[in-house]
Amino acid sequence: METQSVEPDRSKTIPTGFLDGARRNYPREVEYVLVALFLAVLTGIEIATYAAPGFPVWSWGDKAGLITVLLVLMAVKFWTVAYFFMHLRFDKPLLTRVFYTGVVLAGLVYVAIMSMFLLWFPGRH
Amino acid sequence: MALIEPGPLALNSGGQSDDFKPLGVLSRPVAPKASWRRWLFTVDHKKIGIMYGTAAMFFFVIGGSEALLIRAQLWAPRGTLLSAELYNQMFTMHGTTMVFLVVMPIGAAFANFLMPLQIGARDVAFPRINAFSFWCFLGGGLFLQSSWLFGGGADGGWFMYAPNSGVLFSPGHGIDFWNLGLIIAGIASLTGAINLIVTVLNLRCPGMSLMRMPIFTWMTLVTQFLLLFAIPVLTAAQFLLMFDRLFRANFFNVANGGNPLLWEHLFWVFGHPEVYLMILPAFGLVSEMLPVFSRKPIFGYPFIVFSGVAIGFMGWGVWAHHMFVSGIGPISVTTFSLTTMFIAVPTGVKILNWTATMWGGKLKFTTPMLFSIGLVTMFTIGGLSGVTHSVAPADTQQTDTYYIVAHFHYVLFGGAFLGFMGGLYFYWPKLFGHMLNESLGKAHFWLMLLGFNLTFGPMHILGLQGMSRRIYTYDAGYGFEIWNKVATIGAFLLASSVALFLFNVFYSRVKAKHLPNPGPDPWDARTIEWMIPSPVPEYNFEPVPTVTRVDDFWYRKYAETPDHRLVRVHATDEVAQPGGATNVHLPSPSYWPIVAAFSLPFIAYGLIYSLWLCLVGGIALVTALYGWALEPPDHPGGDHGDHHGPDDESSEGHAVPVEAPVGIDEKEVETVG
Amino acid sequence: MADVSIREAIHDELAHPVADTNTGISNTKLAMWLFLASECLLFGGLITTYLLYKTPLTAEQGPAPKQVYDIPFTSVSSFVLLMSSLTMVLAVAAIERGDHHRVRTWLAATALLGATFVAGQVYEFTVFKGEGMGYTTSRSSSAFYTLTGFHGVHVTVGIIMLVSVLLLSLRGKIPVSRAETVETVGLYWHFVDVVWIVIFAVVYLIP
Repeated sequence: METQSVEPDRSKTIPTGFLDGARRNYPREVEYVLVALFLAVLTGIEIATYAAPGFPVWSWGDKAGLITVLLVLMAVKFWTVAYFFMHLRFDKPLLTRVFYTGVVLAGLVYVAIMSMFLLWFPGRH
Repeated sequence: MALIEPGPLALNSGGQSDDFKPLGVLSRPVAPKASWRRWLFTVDHKKIGIMYGTAAMFFFVIGGSEALLIRAQLWAPRGTLLSAELYNQMFTMHGTTMVFLVVMPIGAAFANFLMPLQIGARDVAFPRINAFSFWCFLGGGLFLQSSWLFGGGADGGWFMYAPNSGVLFSPGHGIDFWNLGLIIAGIASLTGAINLIVTVLNLRCPGMSLMRMPIFTWMTLVTQFLLLFAIPVLTAAQFLLMFDRLFRANFFNVANGGNPLLWEHLFWVFGHPEVYLMILPAFGLVSEMLPVFSRKPIFGYPFIVFSGVAIGFMGWGVWAHHMFVSGIGPISVTTFSLTTMFIAVPTGVKILNWTATMWGGKLKFTTPMLFSIGLVTMFTIGGLSGVTHSVAPADTQQTDTYYIVAHFHYVLFGGAFLGFMGGLYFYWPKLFGHMLNESLGKAHFWLMLLGFNLTFGPMHILGLQGMSRRIYTYDAGYGFEIWNKVATIGAFLLASSVALFLFNVFYSRVKAKHLPNPGPDPWDARTIEWMIPSPVPEYNFEPVPTVTRVDDFWYRKYAETPDHRLVRVHATDEVAQPGGATNVHLPSPSYWPIVAAFSLPFIAYGLIYSLWLCLVGGIALVTALYGWALEPPDHPGGDHGDHHGPDDESSEGHAVPVEAPVGIDEKEVETVG
Repeated sequence: MADVSIREAIHDELAHPVADTNTGISNTKLAMWLFLASECLLFGGLITTYLLYKTPLTAEQGPAPKQVYDIPFTSVSSFVLLMSSLTMVLAVAAIERGDHHRVRTWLAATALLGATFVAGQVYEFTVFKGEGMGYTTSRSSSAFYTLTGFHGVHVTVGIIMLVSVLLLSLRGKIPVSRAETVETVGLYWHFVDVVWIVIFAVVYLIP
């Protein structure tokens, strides 16, 4: 490989101090693969809740244990993909705030609607 | 009507450069000056804003005629002008037209025309998407109105409650037209929202931090965020309705377990933010006009900004106050009653701030000022009746009566529409290069105010007397006759005031030929859009100004002495831009937005009548999208060889510099890895 | 090594030209994130509808979705979509490095995995229909098919975009300075995956 010994001519660009929306270096490929492995493991656990419903970690409280564990796993997977694959962790916080506004608003509004339908009480809707 | 400075075309025309090979089939359109093609293929935010406003006024005449028919029908008991079925269509279409095709587009018109000027930008972030939004809105609106020609308008009320909206109770196609037309208009609003948010966040001129933006721009930002999040909820509900009606799904089929409340929730989760996004642009306009005609800065700039943001947030927590009598239960009713009471607070803050702005100022009662004061007073009345609705037990009496009709017309007509009228008078010179006649304007205002109050004031009484909404007639002997007659007279007075306005438009245009140009700043205003010529040149600003504070332009003209008196330090000519710049790089016009936009009503007709039309429309849409994505960034000769996308325009109007660093070329880069 | 870091810095400069905007974020990227935020509201509405209508009104109206699910099959589908997110982000990393060969490979892989997912969905739906759960059978079937159908259409649109970008890359129209195009498509693709993460848990797994 030829070595490059030229500096980019920064006078041609308007310096904002950051790369296009980025504030940290993006991960390297190997890091992405590790994240994907982590996600695969989590998915495996989700499938295990179906395959082995009697496992103590999630068999408590009628269905409450199962629901809790599945929701937690779902949230962790959601957050992982958003932060690492979608670069939210490495980009400027504005993007995170914009996205979270949508997610949180949707969550609040729709949980409110479901509550008004008494969704949490089986047999009442 | 010359809307641009006559002069050489801003883009450099020239022969093709040899190594430029556009991938797209068609190069960008090049139309001669002042031809209709300039309008059809424009991506200029100013032209698009004017088209939004014109289309809105056209729909206003349609919606207003529907209102006059309603009022004529209700003149006397047992009226025979409209049958019950036709009356249902009339109030549905009136409401739908006014909300979706008049008030929202006028807001969009101002947002499009004015906001980029207020932030010192050359255009919006995505000019072609801007054009697409407009044509999409127009197509959807015309599609919706075409229901009258194809068997009758929608007849389920503008809120289209299920299961009344299903095929069982409404077998005609009117509701399908309503549904599909509004889905299309919703796409227009959503794409417009993304566009304008990115514009405000990304394309402000140097020095314009968020807290130095004019209030109208802030209100536009909040409005677009509301649109961004509210429209998808309506779209979801509308798709459910569409699948029910077209494909016999079971979402609102009560026999199969469908729950009508689902529609109500989804609709009002959209519907409440919707009413805030209808009023906020008008609030913004009034916040621009009152300071100018009080010769004082807006009182409490941060409070006006934060109360606007607060209204945006809190508006998401009150929707079920439209459902107090739907059987949602006492806990829900109490909760939403409380939240609704709370939301009166930020609006009250605004009213206070506007009043305080006028207090102690040197008031000048021009037409825009009259309309602004009109908004403040009429909206307060509407807001007060709104607060009475928030008290749930009282609302149980008021709901579905004319008391509610009075409330929302006071806030929407007395609020939003008066504000927009004032804004039109205020910004007319910027749009068209001449002023609207002041005497006619004042006459318009007073006639409109009188007609409006005569129409909707008595409805408070009628409602409390028990007259029900949405019924095509009433019996004698209830005492409703006198106020209905007053309301009908008022409605026709209102219509004549609108006619007066339209007359003013044409009259002023004719007179303008004999009058000198009003210049950049006829009102002695405060914000930077007043430092450019009237009408605004195609490139807006040249050079792009640097802003150092709120109301920057005002402080270029005036300074404060140590004992707080205002002294003029520069004449307008010295600080305004003279115009006449050439060779400014602007976004090129394009065929594809209008093609893509009009393919959507095609698909919609196909869904109702024949799937072959869907296929044709679908092919047109896909072709248009690919043509759009692949068309050359500029017309030939404009490509700088750096392969940036067509919308990568900086706020300066220059291409984003992406030259490879010196000494590196692409081939070396490619061999890495 | 010094020259590696300079080379990386230069590649970063090419892949991420300094955005000439107030926020420092490019217009397209910000626009895509705003769009994705709004999509949360759309899918939230459809998920809520499903949760409300999870069971048919009566047993005579055909099987509930829960009764016809084939969780092992759907698990494989979910895994496929998850891996397509990996290949997508590898494509983005490749274009940032200027590795045009790899970016095409990874884009093709993503599109293929996505197509596999859609094919799996179509197969699944055919099986469900055979077991008595059609679109109009009950409120829960309508809700299920609408939600997963909307998601499937989004995936399909994503595949079309991936293939389009792949073809553009093959024609040499995606230089490093246009890496953002791949990144923007990537954002959309990951979001589609994220929505599936939610659907898989809430619709299929949660009892």
